[in-house]
Amino acid sequence: MSALEPEVDITVTVNGEIVTARAPARLHAADFLRQRLGLTGTHIGCEQGVCGMCTVLVDGEAVKSCLMLAVQLDGRQVQTVESLAEDDRLNPLQQAFKDEHALQCGFCTPGFLMTATALARRGERLSRNEIREEIAGVLCRCTGYDNIVKAIEKHLEETADADAARVAR
Amino acid sequence: MTHILERPTGPLGGSHDDRTDAIGSNVPRKEDDRLLRGDGRFTDDVEPPHVLHMAVGRCPFPHAQILGIDTSAALEVEGVKHILIGSDVRAATEPLTVLRPVPGAPDLHYYALAQDVATYEGQPVVSVVATSRHIAEDALELIDIDYEPLPHVVDVIAALEPDAPVIHPHVLGSNLLVSNRDESGDPEARMAEADVVVAGRFRINRVTGLPMETRGIVVEWRPGARELTVHTSTQVPHLVRKQLAESLRLDEGEIRAVASDVGGGFGLKLGIYPEDVLACLHAMALRRPVKWTEDRSEHFRATTHAREAVHDFRIGATADGRMTAMTNVYATDLGGWNSSFGSAQLSSVVFNGPYKIEDGSVERRVIVTNKTPIGAYRGYGQPEVNFAYERLVDQLARRLDMDPLELRAMNMVRPTDMPWRNPSGAVYDSGDYELCLRMAGDAVGYDEHRKAVRGPRPDGRYVGIGLSSFVERTGYASSRFLARRGSQFGAHESVTLRANRSGGVDLYTGVSTMGQSSETAFAQVTSSVLGIAYDKVSVHAGDTAASPLNTGAFASRTMIAAAGALKDAATQLRDKTLRLAAWRLETEVGTLEVAGDRVQHRSDPDRYVLLSEVFSMAILGQGLPPDEEPGLEATAHFEPPDAAYSFGTAAAVVSVDPNTGDFDVERFVLVHDCGTVVNPKVVDGQVRGALVQGLGAALSEELRYDADSGQLVNGTMMDYFAPSAADVPPIELLHTEVPSPVTTFGVRGVGEVGTIPPGAAVANAICDALADFGVELSTLPITPESVWKALREQRA
Ligand code: FES
Ligand code: FES
Repeated sequence: MSALEPEVDITVTVNGEIVTARAPARLHAADFLRQRLGLTGTHIGCEQGVCGMCTVLVDGEAVKSCLMLAVQLDGRQVQTVESLAEDDRLNPLQQAFKDEHALQCGFCTPGFLMTATALARRGERLSRNEIREEIAGVLCRCTGYDNIVKAIEKHLEETADADAARVAR
Repeated sequence: MTHILERPTGPLGGSHDDRTDAIGSNVPRKEDDRLLRGDGRFTDDVEPPHVLHMAVGRCPFPHAQILGIDTSAALEVEGVKHILIGSDVRAATEPLTVLRPVPGAPDLHYYALAQDVATYEGQPVVSVVATSRHIAEDALELIDIDYEPLPHVVDVIAALEPDAPVIHPHVLGSNLLVSNRDESGDPEARMAEADVVVAGRFRINRVTGLPMETRGIVVEWRPGARELTVHTSTQVPHLVRKQLAESLRLDEGEIRAVASDVGGGFGLKLGIYPEDVLACLHAMALRRPVKWTEDRSEHFRATTHAREAVHDFRIGATADGRMTAMTNVYATDLGGWNSSFGSAQLSSVVFNGPYKIEDGSVERRVIVTNKTPIGAYRGYGQPEVNFAYERLVDQLARRLDMDPLELRAMNMVRPTDMPWRNPSGAVYDSGDYELCLRMAGDAVGYDEHRKAVRGPRPDGRYVGIGLSSFVERTGYASSRFLARRGSQFGAHESVTLRANRSGGVDLYTGVSTMGQSSETAFAQVTSSVLGIAYDKVSVHAGDTAASPLNTGAFASRTMIAAAGALKDAATQLRDKTLRLAAWRLETEVGTLEVAGDRVQHRSDPDRYVLLSEVFSMAILGQGLPPDEEPGLEATAHFEPPDAAYSFGTAAAVVSVDPNTGDFDVERFVLVHDCGTVVNPKVVDGQVRGALVQGLGAALSEELRYDADSGQLVNGTMMDYFAPSAADVPPIELLHTEVPSPVTTFGVRGVGEVGTIPPGAAVANAICDALADFGVELSTLPITPESVWKALREQRA
């Protein structure tokens, strides 16, 4: 690499795997995941923090990875869309998206799935309007959102029910 | 008509006797699993070893002479591999070709890099390839370009003023690229006789389709093999191959274009752009893979915009409300060059909407301005003209003191009138327009609203209901029609089906996957006709090296044309499968049927042979009847005899604050007919998605240019307001289902309809709510500010 691009060593846990890598100082986290780790499920739509295509979980929180530098991932836990499927099968959230036809071109889908994954961890049921507000940071140009909202609503209900059942036991 | 036309009730299951259920049911989408798991393959996901990266330098002025370019400092930068300027491109390529020229338009000779003069902000002027995108961008900053800004014009009306700078003086004497006119009867005579004539000028905003995936391209060149492989985010891989061959002076056989997953197209990814030619030139010069992914701020200037138009519309009518004539003269913006699809062409085709007008004329005037080129976008002129005529119909109703719904109903083309030819020659095929209108009225409580005493609600807001009825052309009216207009593509669609030894069928199509669910719909039709299980159809899409030469995914035409090709190919495959199975089972063909994974006796399903066996017989050429050839595959092409016309009515319920102009779309209902529904969920998804785009274009989206500087003022995601989940009003969809007589299975196109009625429906609702204030809106987008201004004007 050229002297124009200083590089930094980082250690980060990505989808449960510890990765040590050398990242150019101005590389943002989304490019790092895509280009250095081959995790191309995280997409890039604006690099301005507006579209939400690049949403991943960092230490459990949904963040726009185009707004972070790769070096800021050092020491953190990252989760991307590639981690969601369970034993080669869609997880319940992914299945809800499929059942509700919540995706068309699918470019935005990883962003919504990661946003919804973080939402579901709160264990709350939300009204459709609350869901709309919560996911407003991810854009979709194909679906008109209704089916995405329905899929997330369904999934939040299932998780809240499952949590309640666990508590009851 | 066959049983396939009936809408079955159950979903497609694994059992052997429900195969025809595939059409009309919500089968799981073929596309979903990979997209849900991050396994989609979008263009930027393709990363060949040793790939280099391209960055493009763009003209910062709306109109400028390029006096000189000095690349010497940039070439010194470590990592920079290659730089192209205009003269290189001129020497090595032909200008980009236009796929859908406006009839009579002269060629503007558009090269991939600006030659002496750049005609819009964002036009490519120089391109650099380096070992990383960062380095390529750094190098661009070191390139010294000597520009001399020229006088510019960005407004379509101002561009026609005598003192406007002529943007293409070598080809044109003014900024009028071309005008063309369609007419029938004697509209001027009818206007002169009319009891009432209403007229208005309607301005439609410049917007962009804004797919979430920007454009991109990855090129690999193997000179020894003479093979240029191009991964690209396009709706039309076979047309990209054709255009690249023409520009690069290659044979089509030397180019392979691949579009696997496309993150939304909406018309913007129809045909090649300058960057595609540039990436190929760099890759060919360097013998290294070259990649370019458009960044979003480039996208706002480098990918085509849409819609911008000014419509002058008149309607003549009798005192009792019969419309006797319509005239429409409109200016559509081309931008600085003629893109592959140029400015929208369908305003003329359906300018009279659903109304039975015998005496009418429409004139299109295409205007060159110093702005990003206009291209195709969902609707392609139909939303624009709908805003004009539907706004004016409401104004006519007010003039005549008539109910706008009844005025529409009494003037609509009736089912018994069809097929009916409109003044521009479009043949409306079938449908009950009035039924959709009345269903929309009923859904929003239209009658009660009309009867209620006018006045503010307790919360001080005024409520209005607005209607917008439309007819939409979907697909193309035959290749003869296209040939007369100089179009460089056909009206047909093509498909190959090939049996495999696992007992499945491989389906090859040049239609790329961009969210329209074509993989699913194609497999549904194949399953339905052939009788094979839906799961056993594997779809391979968007690769020119592995698909028959087709047309592509646009103009809501894919399903209309593909359904016929699929039916034909699947029938050929089924017939041969049955013949081989009959030989194997020592029985008559007529006693057998394909069912899921086998061929079985109709009366005795226990007597069967598995498809994997039959297909293997054919593939190995072993155990065949004496007169049969080995192999089991079929390629079919189908051109529908005519375009199919979708139709419908939207109704918006809007409340308005008369003091601030603030308004709320409280309900939005669309009643729509797209003929036979192949997959109800997919249809609803397409309609809903397009509606939200249409609402965005009507209410919040606008690309604004500053007249003085000629610059795009709001070319970022931060200040171009595409709707988010929190911005979408409640939408209800209702359907009628009248099969079209001109298409296979009776399908009509579905992908664009939602973009058409929102502007007029919402504007009509606001004007209804504010009728006592005399507000008539005629400009899109409609914002609280524009409503407030209209109120203030009326009060003044
Ligand atoms: S790419 Fe990160 S928000 Fe758009
Ligand atoms: S499905 Fe295409 S952007 Fe959401």
